[in-house]
Amino acid sequence: MARVLSVRDVAIGYGDEVLLDELSFDVQRGEVFAILGGSGCGKSTLLRTLIGLQPPLQGRVHFTGIGPPARAMEPPAFGVLFQSSALFGSSTLLQNVMLPLQKWTRLPADAVAAVALARLRILGLERFAHHLPSEVSGGMRKRAGIARALALDPPILFFDEPSAGLDPVTSADLDEVILLLARDLGVTIVLVTHELPSILHVADQCIMLDRAAGGIIARGAPRELAERSADARVQGFFRRQATNARGGHGA
Amino acid sequence: MTDKAFSLELAAGQDGVPHLRLRGSVLLAEGSLLWSELHRELQGKDRRGMVELDLSGVERLDGGAAALLHAIARQHGEQGGALRFLGASRDTARLLDLYACTDRSDCERPAPQQPGLLNDVGNFAHDAGQSTRAILAFTGDLVHGLVQAIRRPRSVHLSDLGRLVERAGADGMPIVALINFLVGAVLGLQGAMQLHRFGGDPFLANLVGLSVVREFGPLMTAILVAGRSGAGYAAELGTMTVNEEVDALRTLGQDPQRFLVFPRVLALLLVVPVLTLLADLAGVLGGLVVAVVYLEQPSIVYIQALQRALDFADIGTGLLKCVAFAVATGLVACQRGLSTRGGAAGVGNATTSAVVSVLFTLVVIDAIFTNVFSLLDW
Repeated sequence: MARVLSVRDVAIGYGDEVLLDELSFDVQRGEVFAILGGSGCGKSTLLRTLIGLQPPLQGRVHFTGIGPPARAMEPPAFGVLFQSSALFGSSTLLQNVMLPLQKWTRLPADAVAAVALARLRILGLERFAHHLPSEVSGGMRKRAGIARALALDPPILFFDEPSAGLDPVTSADLDEVILLLARDLGVTIVLVTHELPSILHVADQCIMLDRAAGGIIARGAPRELAERSADARVQGFFRRQATNARGGHGA
Repeated sequence: MTDKAFSLELAAGQDGVPHLRLRGSVLLAEGSLLWSELHRELQGKDRRGMVELDLSGVERLDGGAAALLHAIARQHGEQGGALRFLGASRDTARLLDLYACTDRSDCERPAPQQPGLLNDVGNFAHDAGQSTRAILAFTGDLVHGLVQAIRRPRSVHLSDLGRLVERAGADGMPIVALINFLVGAVLGLQGAMQLHRFGGDPFLANLVGLSVVREFGPLMTAILVAGRSGAGYAAELGTMTVNEEVDALRTLGQDPQRFLVFPRVLALLLVVPVLTLLADLAGVLGGLVVAVVYLEQPSIVYIQALQRALDFADIGTGLLKCVAFAVATGLVACQRGLSTRGGAAGVGNATTSAVVSVLFTLVVIDAIFTNVFSLLDW
């Protein structure tokens, strides 16, 4: 498999405060790559750095063959599903998906609508195309967010906590959407989550972040880590055991 | 010549069926070219019926292009023709299947309903009814909250009061003073031009003083407070409502009236009279500048005329008005904020509605007070 994203010696944080340091990893084309870790460990901050919303304090994020992130004159090289879905509340689901197509393609209006509706259709939302985000459920909003992120057929999709706030059944449905995107559409997916069932079901590779350690404490296939890692923090995460809730990780 | 990544050409078909051959990388990035070329080919005289699209030469197809192919096929079908895909590789076929319509009704873009005039009238009446009901419910809650607050004063959340007074009062002083100074000056200039023609220069102080103290000072101050603090309250409470913070307050046993509304209304009650006095002072100063500069009147003449023209009843009527303005601004803005529905657009609508409603209410209150004062000969 070809590498599509490489992260080298990246440090992230705010101002002088370094959250995580010496982050280096690669994401291969077509794989589902999960960034794991407990709440507040810096997963979402790392994601913001990967998608260019927050510059790294040091190090380099490189997208192989698809240009640097967030260049103003070219369509974005990736799609992003934000934790809150971040749909525009005054626009219908269809209008939300049409937005990037109108901005970055020269398709006529009926073709834009046809493509946007097709995106909603594969996510099971065509009947709700003219609903506002406030008129559909949280799971539907997530799927509409995915449809919008997918609008321009980006080679990489970033998902920030896709299961946050969803019930287990809806969350499992979303996992199937992730697998559909990866297996049927060949999209590379970088996923920030701490949902164990999701991780074990969809992720090919993962890294685990730890705030106390200040970086990556484990990497590999999630099932292998769950079964073979000798690290107490990794085992604690996969077995849902508290390590040291009051004083941080004690390992 | 274009350097596009796909090609579309007409090839010899079997049994007289037109045969189009699509080759190369067919991607959404070149979707507009694909759309126009395929449409052009399908407009040919002999291609109104069944047309075959050979996809055996397609090396790469993305989801957007697959959706476009299906949309073109559907449009061709609506015109009485048929577009059949042939020779797709396994990956291409899988993608086409994914974007294919299993249910025809799902594939037609559902047209949004265009409401007619009758619908608009019905919606307006419904909204007006809902709005009236919401205001009555809010008033009921307010009265209940007020009774509770009087019985248990400590239940009113006053820790924000200092911040609210600072934002509505101290932060608003410069703009209130400036605007009212300019209003006083404009009023003075307009009046001076007319009075000068009839030798009525000494009455400029009467004109400016009474107009500013009884009318413009309180009203302009209330309008500025509505624009600054009223809009701010509506937006703040609206955002809290859509973020479920207000619901959270209720679940914590806190009354939103006592926690959010009363401190804001109280803050306005404290600051608006002070701002109004400042506005009165700034307004008459604006008139003084005109008297000195335009009419070349000694300032002492203007001030003495002002002393003769104004008494405490004039200032009192203005202050009475401004108290009513403060209560109305706080209550209407908070009610609009707390009745916000939807997301960011809802907050915007609530803010707009708050400002418009407050301004309307201020003018109505002003008209009532002026009428009552004239009847009482105040």
